[in-house]
Amino acid sequence: MNTHKSNKFHAKTETKGNVCTVFLSGELDLSVASDFRLVMEPLVGDTKLDLVINLKELKYIDSTGIGILLSILKSRQGMDVKFMVEDVPPQIQKLFDMTGISKFFASQENSH
Amino acid sequence: MSDDVQKVILQLPASAEYVDIVRLNLYGIASKMGFTYEDIEDMKVAVSEACNNSVLYAYGQKDGVVDVIFEVEESSLSITVKDEGESFDGLDKSNERMTLHDKELSDVQVGGLGFYLMQALMDDVSVVSEAGKGTVVTLKKHLNFSEEKV
Repeated sequence: MNTHKSNKFHAKTETKGNVCTVFLSGELDLSVASDFRLVMEPLVGDTKLDLVINLKELKYIDSTGIGILLSILKSRQGMDVKFMVEDVPPQIQKLFDMTGISKFFASQENSH
Repeated sequence: MSDDVQKVILQLPASAEYVDIVRLNLYGIASKMGFTYEDIEDMKVAVSEACNNSVLYAYGQKDGVVDVIFEVEESSLSITVKDEGESFDGLDKSNERMTLHDKELSDVQVGGLGFYLMQALMDDVSVVSEAGKGTVVTLKKHLNFSEEKV
């Protein structure tokens, strides 16, 4: 469907030094899950980089999106490298707290 | 508004690209009824999860449709998401409130959070699934008049 979407999902990557930040905007749902996986795939396996996802402009996330974040957490933990989220909007933080994914992000922050 | 239930009915292709259309309609109806911003956000997530399940599991590779019925009552909104595909496999298991709270990251299985979110975010959730006849998910939220409106 090629209609204009004001909430269209977009991911922009910025690398400074050894920190790679992915800025997400719009709605991260099932329809764009594969686009998001494609963006993240090469970054997740890069053990030289600290990986950060900025959610400031993210308007919406569903369980598919949370599931992708969870699999990134798992792979990064397996390689013992950093993965964090920042600027989490309140309505998304609520979902992170409800599902329990927050504690994994919190433990990432504390372990370094 | 009369005591009668007023219905708004949407029929969409069972495709992930149309789930945002359901959210847009939900926003319109719920904000008109006076739901708070937070309640509308909660309902958006719950309704999308119900639609995701129909899109992902109901029809396999075949084309299908999802019916979304909004029932506007004076003090509540019910949303029914209905497909006529295969019933969602493993439904009983997902009803066991699957969360990550008591798990280690290494033990976590990705997936299964959708049904938990529907139950956590709505006041009433019913899921009726019949083999070969499809799945009907009904979600209900009560209007809370004490909070600030959108």
